Amino acid sequence: MNRLNFPDLGIGVGLRTVHFSHILGSQPDVDWFEALSENYMDTGGRPRYVLEKIAEQYPIVLHGVSLSIGGTDPLDFDYLRKLKSLARTVNARWISDHLCWTGVSGRNVHDLLPMPYNAESLRHTAERVRVVSDFLETPLVVENPSSYVEFATSTMTEWDFLASLAEESDCGLLLDVNNIYVSSFNHAFDPNVYVDAIPADRVVQVHLAGHQNHGTHIIDTHNDFVIDEVWKLYGRACARTGDVSTLLEWDADIPDFPTVHAEARKAEAFREAEVAYAAV
Amino acid sequence: MPQSDVALAPLQEWMQAVVTHPSDVYDAAAAAEIAVDDVILPSQTLQPIQRIGIYHGMYMLRMIEALTVDYAAVAQFLGEHAFEHLVRDYVQQFPSRSYTFNRLGDSLPEYIASSSMKRRTFLRDLAKLELAMTHVFDEAEAEPLPADAIASIAPEEVADARIIPIPALRLLALDYNANDAFQAFRDERPMKPRRQKTWLAIHRRDYGVYRMPLTREAFVFLESLAARETIGNAIEAFNRRFRRFPEQSELFLWFRDWSAAGLFTAIEAK
Repeated sequence: MNRLNFPDLGIGVGLRTVHFSHILGSQPDVDWFEALSENYMDTGGRPRYVLEKIAEQYPIVLHGVSLSIGGTDPLDFDYLRKLKSLARTVNARWISDHLCWTGVSGRNVHDLLPMPYNAESLRHTAERVRVVSDFLETPLVVENPSSYVEFATSTMTEWDFLASLAEESDCGLLLDVNNIYVSSFNHAFDPNVYVDAIPADRVVQVHLAGHQNHGTHIIDTHNDFVIDEVWKLYGRACARTGDVSTLLEWDADIPDFPTVHAEARKAEAFREAEVAYAAV
Repeated sequence: MPQSDVALAPLQEWMQAVVTHPSDVYDAAAAAEIAVDDVILPSQTLQPIQRIGIYHGMYMLRMIEALTVDYAAVAQFLGEHAFEHLVRDYVQQFPSRSYTFNRLGDSLPEYIASSSMKRRTFLRDLAKLELAMTHVFDEAEAEPLPADAIASIAPEEVADARIIPIPALRLLALDYNANDAFQAFRDERPMKPRRQKTWLAIHRRDYGVYRMPLTREAFVFLESLAARETIGNAIEAFNRRFRRFPEQSELFLWFRDWSAAGLFTAIEAK
């Protein structure tokens, strides 16, 4: 158990529109679902109806892409109010978003733009995480992003930044092992060092996904199966965290639900093996 | 500028300006106040300009993808190249200012109408139709009135009664046969748009979105009801417009069809 006392929900799948009918019709044996917050906050239509039906039968976690926790525009409390309301409606077990910014001057670029890792960013982001957690009345869970640039103004590694952020803001961490792999390729660092440095007792959840390797760089596309190197990182993370809620994301070229679910289920073997290994 | 002087806020302003620049990333870098090499480090395989170029390239792809979802028929009628050109110009004037993509295309019909595009009136009408469908898809759900509810209003209360529409209702008066064009798009068959006054009710029932063609007379009457006018005032407005009162048989058929379609959610009687 992590120090935030969020439970291990088992192995979940990212809830996607193309799977709505299958899930409602066949009620698959999935431990939990993660829903993209912004897709359900502003709609009274079918997506919201389906999410509420699914929430009656499965644990739900809300995962956002527009909080802009690292942004320098003021926090959007209209957004936060809607997020909090949705979380209550679907009894969200926790709420997560990314260590990133998504736009400034009132604009939204709709991308998870990277932060420079230095003292100013840390102070700024930690303060905003505290404000958001207080407003939501639950500790925010922050995910490590994938990135394609490094800033000249960075003075610390991403893993040191995240560890400090968690300590200073008392947030949880969503460890995306695919993002670690993607960034390690793009920035030429050892992903094992990253996994080993993360404060394991802060890790509430792990993300898995596929990506596209362009030779010179990797893009985090969520459009394929998880590669072996990422599974190994996952096993390494599990050995440190123990049983931890795990979720597979698949956002483009999405196959049928049984295929996605089967890919997610591969995590069981890694979890059990690595936990057993860690206990020896 | 020395690297250490680029604080967080100006760095984010700078990066957003580069990433969202309408031209290529080299033009974006040339227009920026800070040199890319002063902000972004090289990797073992990519130069700083190539690295930030990844974000620049993905930005426009996301905008095109989002608007293609909302305006699939407009995109198909325009063709891929012309639609991408439209999106590039549009997001410069109307960039996303919301946490959701759902609002990105809200100004596209007006933008098309004010442009110098060929067939802009038809494309504006088609865009208005698709935007109405998007709004109706996301509107709040409301329980429709039972089919016999309106018929049960006491005769002496009819004139002062208000029939409240469901939130998921939009009324459109168009200059082109955009509804036929949309259906042709759905059926994957070619069609030639033509000028033809068209009146539509776009509505949702059981979470499905429907397009109901209306006569001009029905549109005018329903428009009054949707504006929360009493039935009596709606009849008067109809008379002012057409210099006649609606026939009893017209009213019967309209209310029957609209009730069956679930367009109303409540009756407010005096």
